[in-house]
Amino acid sequence: MTRSSISVSASRARFEAAALALARERGADLVFSAPGCPARTEPVVGVDPVAELVFDEGTTPDDIREFCFGTPGPALGFISYSYGMLLRGVASAKARRFPLGHLKKYAARVEFDADGERALVFSADPALRGELAARIEAAPEHTAVEPVRGLPRRAPESSLGRAGYEAGVRETLARIRGGHTYQLNLSTRFSWTCPDLDPLALWASLWRRHPAPFYAWFSSGGHRVLSTSPERFLRVADGRVLSQPIKGTLRFDAPAPGLAERLTGSAKEAAELSMIVDLIRNDISAHCAYGSVRVENHKSVFAVDNLLQMYADVRGELRPGSDCLDLFLDAFPGGSVTGCPKRRSMEIIEELEPHARELFCGSMVVVRDERTLDSSIAIRTALFDAASGRLDVYAGSGIVVDSVPASEYEETLAKAEKFLDAAKIFDTEAT
Amino acid sequence: MDVLLIDNNDSFTRNLEHLLASALPGARVAVEPYARLGGLDPAGWDFLVISPGPGGPEEYPDHARVLASGRPVLGVCLGMQVINGLCGGRTSPLCGCVHGRTDVIDWRGRPRTVARYHSLHVSEVGRGLSVLATNAAGVVMALGCRERRLLGYQFHPESFLTPDGEEFIHDAVEYLGIR
Repeated sequence: MTRSSISVSASRARFEAAALALARERGADLVFSAPGCPARTEPVVGVDPVAELVFDEGTTPDDIREFCFGTPGPALGFISYSYGMLLRGVASAKARRFPLGHLKKYAARVEFDADGERALVFSADPALRGELAARIEAAPEHTAVEPVRGLPRRAPESSLGRAGYEAGVRETLARIRGGHTYQLNLSTRFSWTCPDLDPLALWASLWRRHPAPFYAWFSSGGHRVLSTSPERFLRVADGRVLSQPIKGTLRFDAPAPGLAERLTGSAKEAAELSMIVDLIRNDISAHCAYGSVRVENHKSVFAVDNLLQMYADVRGELRPGSDCLDLFLDAFPGGSVTGCPKRRSMEIIEELEPHARELFCGSMVVVRDERTLDSSIAIRTALFDAASGRLDVYAGSGIVVDSVPASEYEETLAKAEKFLDAAKIFDTEAT
Repeated sequence: MDVLLIDNNDSFTRNLEHLLASALPGARVAVEPYARLGGLDPAGWDFLVISPGPGGPEEYPDHARVLASGRPVLGVCLGMQVINGLCGGRTSPLCGCVHGRTDVIDWRGRPRTVARYHSLHVSEVGRGLSVLATNAAGVVMALGCRERRLLGYQFHPESFLTPDGEEFIHDAVEYLGIR
């Protein structure tokens, strides 16, 4: 089947305005990406789903492969950390509210071509194509940030407050000293009930004020995903594999000389990143050709959300006989949000965290064909349940042997700050 | 050469597989999980490698079959501690664990930078094993026995932080008298 496209000259602002209107009026799903970041990806708008795969405990990698590759066109959606636990054989009895994953294919999609300053509308339906092209042409060049209706005004409930989180860090340190894990990512969850919240306006306002390379807005039944991730998990571009794990965080109020060096010069932060780089090398090696796996730009730094973040590029070449979902599903969930060794660390996380991670620390994915996909690590991510009005924001920190419990709790707050700030109830004593 | 790499549920095993494949051109490297060790005949392989892994050596008793085969064995990190334990040696917590950092050891008369990931260390060397390298603080970094064709590396030759990883595989093959 051939798919036709229309090219519409459009600035990034006009593309985004049209995309947000499509999300508001047509339930479109969105991937936005800030330029200039290492994990930047291709912005995508999915309009009018024609096929959906909602994961449950029985969903197999073959089901996912069939959904993505059995029909033409990209699949967009999420794969949860909880599904990753099933893949890695880590049991959980915790209650979940979200599906384990959700992928969609669409009647139409709009992509933004930053080099050509144009939007591309893809659809087999000429009427839909024309309608979407007209909407982009008519979209405003400048839009004011909407005020966000229905934000919570109370302090959140935490699954692990300061005392509980610090106790979890101390227990993690004991496990590290016992040789059970070398590094472990421990998270907490902040929850509010805010039934009047306009979650799309919140996501759009976060995008305007805190752009990052892997934003996603996604509807899953009555749930809304507000993902504002700075981190790529895996990109496969015609078989060329790239992972960009982030480890090492430094909060700053204003840019200043020497800040990046404070991060790259820290032996603790460098060790944390190195460990995850070795883990990612391992995880992509299962489906990469011998001799192709390499590390580039180790200890590079970029800024997002008033945080400096350190990362590395881990590259490889997809092995003949393996497709990008073989690679993704065997490497999932991303090592930067589990710990190392992965399986034992995931078992300890399951024991120490009172909440189910659900989508948090899973991935937002765009799967284009057998040799091409892109995916985030779904951190800096909130989940909104429209029926109950519950908003969950998750944040975590990587614990290594020289971690200080109080500092790690502060780091989780810094990572959740843009959500907590948006709710205007940022409170370091929140419990 | 047929190489069997036994995976102790570790997250560096594939790195070791790729290192073995590139250091030993023409070798066939099979990776099997520790849980399947009982169904394998270790004597059918030219070179047995015990991977790193979480926890202590006492959690992996089935490796006794690997050593009993009489085939050449290389153990890495936990794998070295397993070899040491099966020879009657002991492993203890390492004061100030080291994860994701490099160290410099004297290896066959040359300084070599190596990656370290360990919370435990060999505190008592097993019968018949010789210490082949230590770091400046005296922590055992390599041990082995030529006669029994056993060799262990506490450090990680497969890490990207170890610049001369392949050399350690070549040295292992030579030490163990393979080929």
